[in-house]
Amino acid sequence: MTDQLLSELRKMRSTRTNLGLLAGMVFLTLLTVSVNGFVTDAVELRSHDNQHLVLSAGTNGALFAALIGIMAITSEFRHGTIRPTFVVTPRRSRVIAAKVLASLLMGVIFGLVAIALSFGVGYAILAARGIPFELDTAHVLLLVFGTLAMTALWAELGVGLGAVIKNQVFAVIALIVWTGFVDNILRNVVPDVGRFTPVGVSDSITAGYEDYLLAPPVAGAILVGYVAVFVAAGALLVARRDVT
Amino acid sequence: MVTQTQAVPPVPAVAPPSDGAVVRAEGLTKRFGDLLAVDDLSFSLECGTVTGFLGPNGAGKTTTLRMLLHLVEPTAGRALVLGGRYQDLERPAARVGAVLEVADFHPGRSGRDHLFALALALGRADERGNWFFGRERAAAERVDAVLELVELGGAGRRRVGGYSLGMRQRLGLAGALLGDPELLILDEPANGLDPEGVRWLRDFLRTFAAEGKTVLVSSHVLAEVAQTVDQVVIINKGRLVAFSPLAELTARLTGDVRVRAPEAARLRDELAREGIRSALLDGDELRVEGASSARVGEIAYGADLLLHALVPQSSSLEDVFLELTTEEPS
Repeated sequence: MTDQLLSELRKMRSTRTNLGLLAGMVFLTLLTVSVNGFVTDAVELRSHDNQHLVLSAGTNGALFAALIGIMAITSEFRHGTIRPTFVVTPRRSRVIAAKVLASLLMGVIFGLVAIALSFGVGYAILAARGIPFELDTAHVLLLVFGTLAMTALWAELGVGLGAVIKNQVFAVIALIVWTGFVDNILRNVVPDVGRFTPVGVSDSITAGYEDYLLAPPVAGAILVGYVAVFVAAGALLVARRDVT
Repeated sequence: MVTQTQAVPPVPAVAPPSDGAVVRAEGLTKRFGDLLAVDDLSFSLECGTVTGFLGPNGAGKTTTLRMLLHLVEPTAGRALVLGGRYQDLERPAARVGAVLEVADFHPGRSGRDHLFALALALGRADERGNWFFGRERAAAERVDAVLELVELGGAGRRRVGGYSLGMRQRLGLAGALLGDPELLILDEPANGLDPEGVRWLRDFLRTFAAEGKTVLVSSHVLAEVAQTVDQVVIINKGRLVAFSPLAELTARLTGDVRVRAPEAARLRDELAREGIRSALLDGDELRVEGASSARVGEIAYGADLLLHALVPQSSSLEDVFLELTTEEPS
């Protein structure tokens, strides 16, 4: 298993894919935190919720983390490297497990960068504009560790989704359509369902302030459940499907 | 693990299969929906042989090779390598090397990193050094060794996207050789290679086989492998057509003779008298079946017939192959 993990980590750092994703995440996080921090009126920015909005820009990192996971598996199918990979390691579940672990590691790194950027820059903007900091320690801790957990878990969600869908383009489209549209609609139109969606439970573990959200431990457990279901389904399908 | 007894030679880690078969297909069948890709295919290959796995495109060669490597699950029958199912072997890639497609690489990854990832997954035979650096060093040594072996040392750190087809072919082969295998499975390795690349591959396979190792190489062009292989397995429409030494295939070569003679019709009658069949083609031209040109000339001389041309038309191995693979199953 260590062999497969080291192999997956070598794959991840030997193409520019993850570097590109990291650059994209850094750019988007800086953009979001700057726009929210500078454009919002100084009086409005004194509110708890608006400060949260500035500092939580790092949760965008989860989307990029999911892409790490999707790429880790779908690029092997796309470029055919899945064949040598499975010839060397015929126990395909081991390959999937190694990808899950490697993606988890990358997700943590992405999460650390995202939270450092959104929090550091967000806090600096508030300080520079002379706006008193309104968030309490418990909120800050939940936001920091929640973002880290969310990013780490979404990376594995990506591996599971990629393993199920197999096709790179379709997997990315599925991610965007779900997080950008379906999930949004569910949370806004049917909050009773929306609070249980992947984005809904992620909001709950990152100190989100909507009143329909779940308690963080419950939400965290549900998110882990999503990861388990997707990864298990992906591993099962990958093991059963012929590699042609 | 190994008992140290002076008189007894060391026991191999895995005993060879009792019947000596390195590759064995037993009633191997694969159905994709309505398509019967491989149909009750059985053959077995001995250690140290170089076998050409031949058949026209779509004959089921690729599917068969992938079943041997556990990439495709057989619908029925068994695919065995080195006495067991591929997935049941301990570190299978250390014993079996495979090149399945010419282009199974990420274009943005260097050739060396491609091999490095495979070498790490393959693991190390002996546990030297610590858990991380020991593995990395063992992989690096292996990768550099195979890059040298396929004469790709200088290009290892370049991205595969910039490789020529011949270089990709060598990189694929390098990946197959990482584990120093005793069996090499190659699917259409010469596809798209220039003549120089084909020659390089042929020399390489000869050297590999000279060490007593086994090769199974597929092709849809017999000429590509005719100079390399000892025996051929020919399949068509998923079924076994022929399984024989190359020499036996060569023996099937028939020799027609083309004759041009002013009195072709008379020559035909003379030949018929000797029990030799021939067909009148074009006024003064005759196609003679199953007789050497010397024999035809002799008969013509004996009958006082003038000959303008006497040309042996030996059919090539390719013709035999085509004849075998286009035969309608009765």
